[in-house]
Amino acid sequence: MPRLERIEYKPVSVRELFLEMKNLSELMIDLAYSAALFNDKELAEDIFELENRVDTLTYLLEMEIMIAARDAEDAEALTGVSKVASAADKISDAAADIAAIVTQNIGINPIVSEGFEKVEERLTRAKVNEGSILIGKQIGELDLAARMGVDIIAIRRNKDWILDPEDTERTRNGDILIARGAPSGIKEFKGLVEGKLRKLED
Amino acid sequence: MPRKRLKHFEEIVERFVELKNTSELMMDLAYSSVLLNSRELAEDVQRLEDHVDKLHTDFELLVLSSRFRPEEAKGFLGLIRLGVVTEKIADAAAEIAEVVLRGIEPHPVLKLAIEEAEETVTYVQVTENSPLANKTLREAQIPKETGMWVLAIRRENKWIRPKPHTEMKPEDVLIASGYAGGEEELKKLASP
Repeated sequence: MPRLERIEYKPVSVRELFLEMKNLSELMIDLAYSAALFNDKELAEDIFELENRVDTLTYLLEMEIMIAARDAEDAEALTGVSKVASAADKISDAAADIAAIVTQNIGINPIVSEGFEKVEERLTRAKVNEGSILIGKQIGELDLAARMGVDIIAIRRNKDWILDPEDTERTRNGDILIARGAPSGIKEFKGLVEGKLRKLED
Repeated sequence: MPRKRLKHFEEIVERFVELKNTSELMMDLAYSSVLLNSRELAEDVQRLEDHVDKLHTDFELLVLSSRFRPEEAKGFLGLIRLGVVTEKIADAAAEIAEVVLRGIEPHPVLKLAIEEAEETVTYVQVTENSPLANKTLREAQIPKETGMWVLAIRRENKWIRPKPHTEMKPEDVLIASGYAGGEEELKKLASP
């Protein structure tokens, strides 16, 4: 049994919590489908970590809701928030269920998987290596979208997740980058991130 | 592999992509319905849920009629599970929309999530003579031109989750959100 951490109350903005839960659950769904359709175990592992994060946020959100309710009117309006939070939690559980198809070695039929390759965009994850020329560069200045049709949609930095990173965010050694794009672009992107490709072409 | 079997597999892919896109679209629309307090969007989500149920059944029947050998069963179980979970996501989206349909006004703590109070949802039809007709979303630059953001496209009975390369066709209905001022601009652009 994994050890479950005790979640202590700390004051956070409900709005921030809510938006983070929404963004996380959307990212998880995208990652989960990509993991299952293309049998990508590494991607699947990330999803379980994100699910833990959503669980923690759900607890914190419920606590905030209880503190904010002072009268019947508040209670009515906050029930809506609570309902939405529980649905977001269900969505993240669903993402974990999708990831489990890969981690439990069930997999999906390989011919069908090949078919998806033709019509679905594939997400990829790559770890920034010491030799990568991307280290210290701002995401905006790299202009990966124009160069190779690739978008960085999230960065995992140690235990933290940065969703939809700003153009001014700089990549660091050891970052795990999650990106979407066409297969040819993704290949080039991986090469750059892992330090095998040392030149950014125009 | 016999052509007939290959075609069967292609059909599985096609159905699943439709199922998945519809449930993801429902999720987008459901969150927007809460943040914008839009009954119209919430109703669309409910309508789509019925559609997803039907798509899911079709998908399951298709997978189950694949005539697989015992050693291939796992890969088909994976597909069935994918379908089940995708339907669960659609259900969760419908639950989110239900909050709006019950007339529960979002609590002020949530209302803050809307940057400006006047944000609105609008439905516009693309006419034959519109500059948007037969252009992709990337080419059309709608957010830059009007300040409106396309949430979904309705084409006859189909719902499309917009991507940069999605092409808009005459007769399409665009469902967009943004500041009230952009509504007129978008109407002018879509149905001049």
